[in-house]
Amino acid sequence: MTKFSVEAKVGFFVVIGMIVLAYMSMKVGKFEYAGEKGYELYAYFDSAEGLVKGVPVQIAGVEVGRVKEISLEAGKAKVAFQLDPEVQVGEDAEAAIRTKGVLGDKYVEVIPGSPQAQPIKPGGRIVRTQSPANIDTLLKQLSSIGTDIKEITQSLSGVLGGREGETSLKTIMDNIRSIAETLNETIQKNNENINRTLDNLAIFSKDLKEISGTNKEAVHEIVANFRQVSDQFRDALIAFSEITGKINRGEGTIGKLIHDEETIRSMNETLVALKGITEKINRGEGTIGKLVQDDETADNINAALSSINEYLQKEERFRTYVDYRGEYLFDSDDVKSYLSLRIQPKEDKYYLLQIIDDPSGKKTVTETTTTVGGTSTTEYKEEIDKDEIKFSAQIAKRYYDLGLRAGLFESTGGIAADYYLFDDRLILSLETFDFDPDENPHLKFKADFTPFQYIYLTVGFDDFISTEGTESFFIGGGLRFSDEDLKTLLSGAPIPKN
Amino acid sequence: MIKIIETIGRGLIRFIEEFGQVMFLLMSAATWMVRPPARLRAIFKQMEFVGVNSLAVVILTGAFTGAVLALQAYHGFRLFGAESLVGSTVALAMTRELGPVLTSLMVTGRAGSAMAAELGTMRVTEQIDALYTMATNPIKYLVVPRIVAGVLMLPVLTIIADFVGILGGYIVGVGLLEINSGIYVAKMIEIVELEDIFNGLVKSACFGLILSLVGCYKGFYTTGGAQGVGQATTRAVVIASVSILISDYFLTAAMF
Amino acid sequence: MAKPESSPVIELVSLHKSFNGQIVLDGLDLRIEAGQTTVIIGQSGGGKSVLLKHMIALIKPDQGKVLVEGVDITRLNDRQLNNIRKNFGMLFQAAALFDSMTVGENVAFPLREHTRLKQHEIDEIVKHKLRQVGLKGVAHKMPSELSGGMQKRVGLARALALDPKIILFDEPTTGLDPITADAIDRLIVDTQKHTNATCIVISHDIESTFKIADTVAMLYHGKIVEIGKPEDIKSSKNLALQQFIQGKAEGPIQVV
Repeated sequence: MTKFSVEAKVGFFVVIGMIVLAYMSMKVGKFEYAGEKGYELYAYFDSAEGLVKGVPVQIAGVEVGRVKEISLEAGKAKVAFQLDPEVQVGEDAEAAIRTKGVLGDKYVEVIPGSPQAQPIKPGGRIVRTQSPANIDTLLKQLSSIGTDIKEITQSLSGVLGGREGETSLKTIMDNIRSIAETLNETIQKNNENINRTLDNLAIFSKDLKEISGTNKEAVHEIVANFRQVSDQFRDALIAFSEITGKINRGEGTIGKLIHDEETIRSMNETLVALKGITEKINRGEGTIGKLVQDDETADNINAALSSINEYLQKEERFRTYVDYRGEYLFDSDDVKSYLSLRIQPKEDKYYLLQIIDDPSGKKTVTETTTTVGGTSTTEYKEEIDKDEIKFSAQIAKRYYDLGLRAGLFESTGGIAADYYLFDDRLILSLETFDFDPDENPHLKFKADFTPFQYIYLTVGFDDFISTEGTESFFIGGGLRFSDEDLKTLLSGAPIPKN
Repeated sequence: MIKIIETIGRGLIRFIEEFGQVMFLLMSAATWMVRPPARLRAIFKQMEFVGVNSLAVVILTGAFTGAVLALQAYHGFRLFGAESLVGSTVALAMTRELGPVLTSLMVTGRAGSAMAAELGTMRVTEQIDALYTMATNPIKYLVVPRIVAGVLMLPVLTIIADFVGILGGYIVGVGLLEINSGIYVAKMIEIVELEDIFNGLVKSACFGLILSLVGCYKGFYTTGGAQGVGQATTRAVVIASVSILISDYFLTAAMF
Repeated sequence: MAKPESSPVIELVSLHKSFNGQIVLDGLDLRIEAGQTTVIIGQSGGGKSVLLKHMIALIKPDQGKVLVEGVDITRLNDRQLNNIRKNFGMLFQAAALFDSMTVGENVAFPLREHTRLKQHEIDEIVKHKLRQVGLKGVAHKMPSELSGGMQKRVGLARALALDPKIILFDEPTTGLDPITADAIDRLIVDTQKHTNATCIVISHDIESTFKIADTVAMLYHGKIVEIGKPEDIKSSKNLALQQFIQGKAEGPIQVV
């Protein structure tokens, strides 16, 4: 073996140490390097209890980032996290604080949205969140559920338990069986009749399908009605469950009845009468039995339902914004206010309805022609109604950072273009409307800047090529709330419902 | 009663005196360190002595410490069904505490004592005086290379001890106790941070300074012949070890 | 007291030194003349070594001046001191060879430290110096392989390496057999003649003293009690000196 010099030995030794250090650092430090890349998102949680900086962010159990910062903002925990650049999160994604195991560390789970949804841009917010399930509330819920179950089983055993209950049950079952038998008999005897009826029904449902396909509005109305009905139904159900509760406790008339020997007897009588009815069906136009068996009918109904469903799903993505803005016009020393409702069915498309209170009023020109002795004079009378309110109704479409609007602008026709900057925080708009052939069109330029979530500032120049001297520089601001925001604001801090 | 207080007082005065002398030695070593010429040969020689030659003992210590740690942690964690945490426990303990401390204690025993003995012998046989007469400052020639070697080599030894300890823990945990290797490694990587390793290395550099400084101090100011050398050696090891353990607490408190 | 005309190389002025309250040097005055051998005699433990070490500033006095060629070396800083020390060579009582180096490296040490000579030039000088002290073919040996007399020769060779103007000898013949002692004595005389250096020897070996000395000084009770030519010393009426020369236990010098 060759003898190494002191320097060689020390050098070799140090190199080994460095290699080991580099290896271990790379192994351990993997996430730190990854953490520097990527982009940031944030979300608000009701509680970030147990969450600490640096804990992993997972999607479907795969680590995709780390929590970067936790801060308090307006009573809520604002959690910012760094995500790997290749990971995309849809706008309808949900962020939840979860626990590893029963007593493990907290981490953030992101439930990605539907693949069609627009990905959230860097720096954006995941709106939907789930705060960690506190063990205390969990236990409380469990115990109240347990109490409920106990109550139910107790009252059930109160009704059905005992010999009396048993006999009553048996009688009821016997009656039901005999009804079913009769029904079966009836159907078999009236096969032909039923078939004819079903054909009719098929035609009817086909018509229904056509109607729903072509006239969605009507369907929508129907659906709305239906919803109202179902709401009522739910109320009824709640009332009903209250009643049944009372019944169980033997309260009220029905309660007393059910707990009475006589009630059982009258119930039996009712069932006997029911039997009579089915026998009548037997003679007349009974339809119910076959209704569910005919395939065509079922298909038609299905198609009708799916087309309704589709419509409903679209409606589900609706977002509504309520917006109030005020513009202080320097030249006239007046405030022009706008109250608007923005209905946004899709991310890149919205409808805008606006009511404008314009201090310069609405100008009406009346033309009066008077004929005096062969010569006719035409008088133009200008009326300015200061209290008149103007309307806007526009349709808007967005292509990347450019938006276009068209429709009614302050009660006249017009078009507009919007340019979105800095994650939509700054919007530059140019509106052109009131194309009066005798005058220059009304041009308006404005810049809206949104520093905070709900508040925005605006600055611009209204009617700047006016021939009537109504041009004015303006400055102002506004408030904008989405339906989600309103819900949150109106109900205060939401409390998880038990 | 008075005697007891006197003894305590004397001890305190001695301690302060000695601490002052150690600091003085450190100061003069620091000033001599930056004065040319840099004695690279002497430094390399000490680096070989402190670092390379301590490798075997440090590897043995590290490997078996990691192994026994894995064994002990396993029995504890099994009660909670958390066997998968054995790896991270071993790795954290090695990188943050046991790697730096055990390495430093082993090197204190090996090299710190040798420093005291060597310098002590040189002192009693007038070799240190001889250096002075030859216009060579013994602090620069003898003390500086040892301190530099201690500060530089301890982190290198420690990182090797860390690695070997983790390896030893892995062999016991995965090989003998049959913990799933994937979970073992993944948990370890998940829990151990780069900071743990680096703080451990900073600690070990501090310990390297302590052990070489104390060893040099005790040797450099040895009196009383062969017996004095023996005493200096023993005291150097005791003082350095205790100082390492005490300063470990404060360094840890300051760092983590 | 003889008062030589020439200016002294080393002059000690009212030197005071005590260790732990015990007075070792008590206002000592001494002038060492250039180009001759001065032997300082005195009782063992009487402060001879302390005196010698003052001359090369290994020990600093509590009071008084040490003038080397007119410069007070007690007030110099490390760097200035090292420049003065390059004029000195010192042979220690036990040779004080660096036991981690070979004989050749020991002799080469001052050359490596203070000259920019190339390796082959150093080798040449080392060979020459070793031959000068009567050694041949030992350069590769370790000091521990040599006898005491040979170690002293190597020590002398090392002391001569930089061709010093002043050579200090700390009990050169102590612990040697009479024949070797005589050889060393001759070596001192030869060296002095050869280099014309100022030699200062401390000794308690009377026979050897009279062989090599041009001037003899007697240290007693922390002072120089007699200084003069060997013949004058022999005929001195100082009782302590006479007791010492004749080697008697009875007299003014109390043997404990």
